[in-house]
Amino acid sequence: MGSILSAEWFKLRKSKMVPLILAGPIIGLFIGLTSNFSDMADSGVNEWYSSLISMNLLYALLFLPLISGVFASLICRYEHQSGGWKQLLALPVTRGKVFAAKYVLIMLLVMAMQILYLCSIYAVGLMKGYSDPFPMEIVWKSIFGGWLATMPLVALQLWTSIMFKSFAAPFAVNVVFTLPSILAVNSARFGPYYPWGQPFLMMNVGGNTGDVFFVPWDQLLTVVGGGFLLFFLGGYLYFQRKAI
Amino acid sequence: MIGKLLTSDFLKIKRKGLWFLTALGPIGVVAMQMVNYGVRKDYLLEQSEDDWGYYLLNVHSFTPLAIVLGIAILTSFIASIENETNAWKQLIALPVSKLTVYLSKFSVLAILLFLSSTILMLVTLAYGVFLDLGDSTPYMEIAKFAYYPYFASLPILALQLWIASVCHNQGIPITVGIFGVIFAYSSFVLPDWMIWKWPSLMNQWDEPVINVVLGISIGILLYIIGMIDFARRDVK
Repeated sequence: MGSILSAEWFKLRKSKMVPLILAGPIIGLFIGLTSNFSDMADSGVNEWYSSLISMNLLYALLFLPLISGVFASLICRYEHQSGGWKQLLALPVTRGKVFAAKYVLIMLLVMAMQILYLCSIYAVGLMKGYSDPFPMEIVWKSIFGGWLATMPLVALQLWTSIMFKSFAAPFAVNVVFTLPSILAVNSARFGPYYPWGQPFLMMNVGGNTGDVFFVPWDQLLTVVGGGFLLFFLGGYLYFQRKAI
Repeated sequence: MIGKLLTSDFLKIKRKGLWFLTALGPIGVVAMQMVNYGVRKDYLLEQSEDDWGYYLLNVHSFTPLAIVLGIAILTSFIASIENETNAWKQLIALPVSKLTVYLSKFSVLAILLFLSSTILMLVTLAYGVFLDLGDSTPYMEIAKFAYYPYFASLPILALQLWIASVCHNQGIPITVGIFGVIFAYSSFVLPDWMIWKWPSLMNQWDEPVINVVLGISIGILLYIIGMIDFARRDVK
């Protein structure tokens, strides 16, 4: 397993697309520096909160679900070109391990991007000269929660990326599911059940702070956990039977 | 020559899902309002005196996002048809100029998007009539909200086609598309010169026609730059 993972990492590194994880902090800086929170500054709330709320909104609602799909397509790109699947699977590896290694690598990339995004939150605060204490615990919760919430999305994207040769097809699937989350998260009734809305709900620092994450445990387990199981097993079984 | 190239390009996109996506975009945009109005129609009708205008604004809140993402998807599709099988070489080896090859690709996309806008207009009208929003149906406004964003987004189309056709790795144009949608979503904070703001039809003069004029002129400019760059590059 370890050697498959390192092989995947080498292939990714040599495709020179690792800098793509910098897209996360760039978007963070863009939103943080363009939006204006002056109306909230005098209300006595921790200054970090207002910038966190508006940064996390755009980042988690659209950017994170979309970019995680791009990672999944990138990870499958070298196999789709000139019969790479055949060469890879001719090695003494099982298909299940290849699938799992690819999945783990994507999740590690998303994690790295989340941490870089955390740095960009801090940088925005420094540039704006915030004096309030940095709400470390809440920020970690939202960074880690957002990462957990992308798990089912990445599993589905890996599935579709293995299925389609072109980049555009899995991305189209991703867009079709991600855009409605703008409406879904506004609805108290349907929002909690929509998997593509979960990154936003779990990064939204305005949520219920009593829970370990910003959503209740049963929602986390059923929607995120259930979605992950469904998509991961679906992709896993599909890859087992796929003719290459 | 361009006629034959267009025919061949339309043949190439058969059964690849492009026609489906062209129809899905506008229908999806209105379908979201179907859900929105289906869940809380009474509340939404209370929001404004002008029910038709408010409905059109609701539809229009998703149009720029769908256009920006749709352009990214369609351009990348068109480019990967040639990329996947290294068909650029064979295409260029035919007795056609590279400029017309590029023009044909651009025309196919422009036609697909125009069709998309037309479907958007029809579906918007149909659901608006179904909702029974009042007696005076604003046909002109509906047409404006369908076609103005189309013309305003031509620079994005030209830019995305340029990037998609010169990049071998389609991850790059797709990522540019994602940045585009983030910009389109936050267009109210963007300065007026950003092309991703234009499909939202907002500008400091509050005059949507300016976005249309800008879209067509900068679109042609970006198209020419992209075409020249495409023609100068070696086909690998």
